Amino acid sequence: MSVIVVGEVDGNDVKEISQQVAAVASGMGDVIGIVMGKGISDAAMKLSTSKIIIADDEALEYYDPVKFTSIVAQIVNQNNATKVLMGATTMGKDLGPRVAAELGWGYLGDCLEAGNEGFVRPNYAGKVLAKSNTTDSVVLSIRNNAYPAGESWSGSVENFSGEIPDSGLTTTTIENVGAGTIELTEASIVVSGGRGLESPENYDEHIRPLAAAMGAAAGASRAIVDAGWVTHSHQVGQTGKTVTPDLYMAIGISGAIQHLGGMSGSKFIVAINKDSEAPIFKVADYGIVGDLFEIIPLLKSKLEN
Amino acid sequence: MNIVVLVKMVPDTESRLEIVDGKVNESGFKYMVNPYDEFAVEQAVQFKEANGGKVTILSLFSNDGSIDTDLRKMMAIGADEAIVLRQDNYRGDKPSANATVLSNAIKEMEADLIIGGVQGIDYYQSATGPMIAHMLGIPHISGVTNLELNDGKFTAKRQVEGGLQIIECSNPLLVTCQKDMTKVRFPALKDIMMSKRKPFESRTVEPVESNDVETAECSLPPARGGGMIIEGESSEDKVDKLIEKLKTEAKVI
Repeated sequence: MSVIVVGEVDGNDVKEISQQVAAVASGMGDVIGIVMGKGISDAAMKLSTSKIIIADDEALEYYDPVKFTSIVAQIVNQNNATKVLMGATTMGKDLGPRVAAELGWGYLGDCLEAGNEGFVRPNYAGKVLAKSNTTDSVVLSIRNNAYPAGESWSGSVENFSGEIPDSGLTTTTIENVGAGTIELTEASIVVSGGRGLESPENYDEHIRPLAAAMGAAAGASRAIVDAGWVTHSHQVGQTGKTVTPDLYMAIGISGAIQHLGGMSGSKFIVAINKDSEAPIFKVADYGIVGDLFEIIPLLKSKLEN
Repeated sequence: MNIVVLVKMVPDTESRLEIVDGKVNESGFKYMVNPYDEFAVEQAVQFKEANGGKVTILSLFSNDGSIDTDLRKMMAIGADEAIVLRQDNYRGDKPSANATVLSNAIKEMEADLIIGGVQGIDYYQSATGPMIAHMLGIPHISGVTNLELNDGKFTAKRQVEGGLQIIECSNPLLVTCQKDMTKVRFPALKDIMMSKRKPFESRTVEPVESNDVETAECSLPPARGGGMIIEGESSEDKVDKLIEKLKTEAKVI
């Protein structure tokens, strides 16, 4: 039984999330990796699957749902594969449903668990977990950090020789808005700020530098996004991003249920808040009740040393 | 320009989530327009105001009529008509079945643009939009933060890791909207009154077969054993203890 893993490349490497997905898939059958892009062949070979099919083509420079769906479906059909797995990245969440529609399979997005015991995915922003036990063919996207990554090793490599259709979509460029910053959903540490910061200037003065010092992504509560202090791309919670880092730092965030839904899957949670009754402390592994304007600079300078 | 806006009715965010016999007890749910879909309505109306055309709200739901008032609010924003597909035993967690029903309805509407929210705040699959596009044989762009229309060509900005993918496409096209793609207006009283006279059609549709994966069992996530407050003489003392714990217990730094 073969299982397909759609891998993604970032620069000269396979994305960490793709290696995690490869590790999940290894328990499901013979794994065939697919990597699509332009000039990605060397990096693609690092995907930890026993066989790797590389579609390296001018026409695949940017992610395109129509082209990528067609390539994945062709490889699925040639290999009689019964599952397709990918990371729940902006590409995976976009591609997975379209591949499922093309193959006529079910789709489970953003899975927290996937294996022979079944599949678990979050509903209602993680406030409910839904488990299913299907044995049918299915397309899955797997959430970052749900599983450890497989060791990097190379399998046999083949070049994709099928058709690449036209799509009608033309990507002109990728605008680097967050150059040098770490993506929230991929970060192993997230430092988030909320209304306790009192002003947008304090977000820039306290949250961003602490995040930079810790190699972390900077997040935010809905309250300060709605107030226009930071853009929506920073928002963690029910109408923002769901994050599952190794460490989540909630600073000046009271912990509304909509926020908790987006971060309570984190491995360790630290809360810093002046209000000892704030609900965030109920989910925090470690809490500090105190003045964040005193605590954050201390924390930052000690971590830098 | 003929625009179809996909609107999903989802449980109110304040709904109590209680598990009974492995299922979410949905009996007390009140439904509202999915917040992401409101951005789609607003964007569609702005295109119509600039270029002319028609905006049709398309929704698939059960026979429960309690949602009609909320849907009418979308017409107060400026949509011209609403079509609600009524299905016995409708469920929001069947993206493939729902995409089949919706795409069948759209086929007869000659849409230039189909637009909806990036995801429903109930099941978060982000699946129905791309599936509909595939079934219609047209391209889609998901998670769009900005959409412009110039000389019949759309330019979309799509959020990707670390940046924005800029994509151009002619119609027909399906787009799903990220939060804050545009600012949703508060309708004037006059528009609210007018919306009551706009066409609002309910059509019965039959359930369809699909390969959607059924949920076997729901549970609440395990409660976190949190609540440990770090005590100390001073802020510095607390910070030292926190760093120690992060190093030795959490092993994250």
